[in-house]
Amino acid sequence: MKLRVQYTAQLRAVVGRAEEVVELSEGGNLAELLNLLADSHSTARPHLVTEVGQVRPSLLIVVNDSAVSAREAAKTVLYSDDIVTLLPPIAGG
Amino acid sequence: MRDLPELTPDERGRYEWQLSVRDFGEEGQRRLKNATVLVSRIGGVGGSAAMQLAAAGIGRLILVHAGNVRLNDLNRQLLMTTDWIGKPRVESAVRRLHELNPHVEIETVAENVNDSNVADLVSRCDVVVSAAPLFSERLLMNREAVRQQKPLVDSAMYELEGRLTTIIADQTPCLSCLYPEPPPNWKREFPVFAAVASTVGSLAAMEVIKLIAGVGEPLASRMLTFDLRDMTFRTVPIARQPDCPVCGA
Ligand SMILES: [Zn+2]
Repeated sequence: MKLRVQYTAQLRAVVGRAEEVVELSEGGNLAELLNLLADSHSTARPHLVTEVGQVRPSLLIVVNDSAVSAREAAKTVLYSDDIVTLLPPIAGG
Repeated sequence: MRDLPELTPDERGRYEWQLSVRDFGEEGQRRLKNATVLVSRIGGVGGSAAMQLAAAGIGRLILVHAGNVRLNDLNRQLLMTTDWIGKPRVESAVRRLHELNPHVEIETVAENVNDSNVADLVSRCDVVVSAAPLFSERLLMNREAVRQQKPLVDSAMYELEGRLTTIIADQTPCLSCLYPEPPPNWKREFPVFAAVASTVGSLAAMEVIKLIAGVGEPLASRMLTFDLRDMTFRTVPIARQPDCPVCGA
């Protein structure tokens, strides 16, 4: 199935684009998606997952219109055409 | 209303154009006059928030920011002036704010928020604007504001993007709910135009005015995110984390 992934802030800078369409296997979850993205964008990996492949706790994730915390990522099943927005923490003042 | 300070004729004239704002009026203005707002760092975001709050007639501002004005502050820190390079930022800020509104009482602290000053600073204000460029300062301010049950408006930006949320103890998620670990790769020097920083700062000031005057709906349990590159604004619901070390039950 195809999903839309949107990158913001520093993630957009390291990935080099604001948005992409990603192929994820049917029934895949949010944690799997983030590991897939970390594999395909190695410079973005530290923003997305920890050294042991867990979703980075400080990453804000919005699936369609709902925020999903990192700990819920493995339980969050994704569906075709979902829009996943990734918001790394920012503190510019 | 009886406990609120009266407006002088000069103040009534100065604020004439905002006294007609729906649900605000003279009582709202007197609430602002009675209030103290703490602004953590008066750079691009916090400086603009302070400017808006001074214009609106906040009674007292506590401005917290270390260091002297540098040349490369001037693309965004609108309270700083070219002739003040090498001199304390907070002094430049007081001068600018008093040029705009001499009625505002301003206390300056020429250091950044730290473990030893944060409790006292928060205890002396009604609302906090948190706009430091370091997560450590923001998380410290969040912890203290939650502990002392003072509303905090967290306002942040990066490049052409901004984010804002209003944190109210026991009601909304706090900053540690959102960022349970210090982010691993935040860089102190971030890309910024003043136009973006000022947008975030102005939105933060509006939240503060609303909270103090009791106008409208605060940005509670919601995060505003915007991207001025394509002018998209969205508000996302955010949730408390039950095991949050700062606000968890
Ligand atoms: Zn919390």
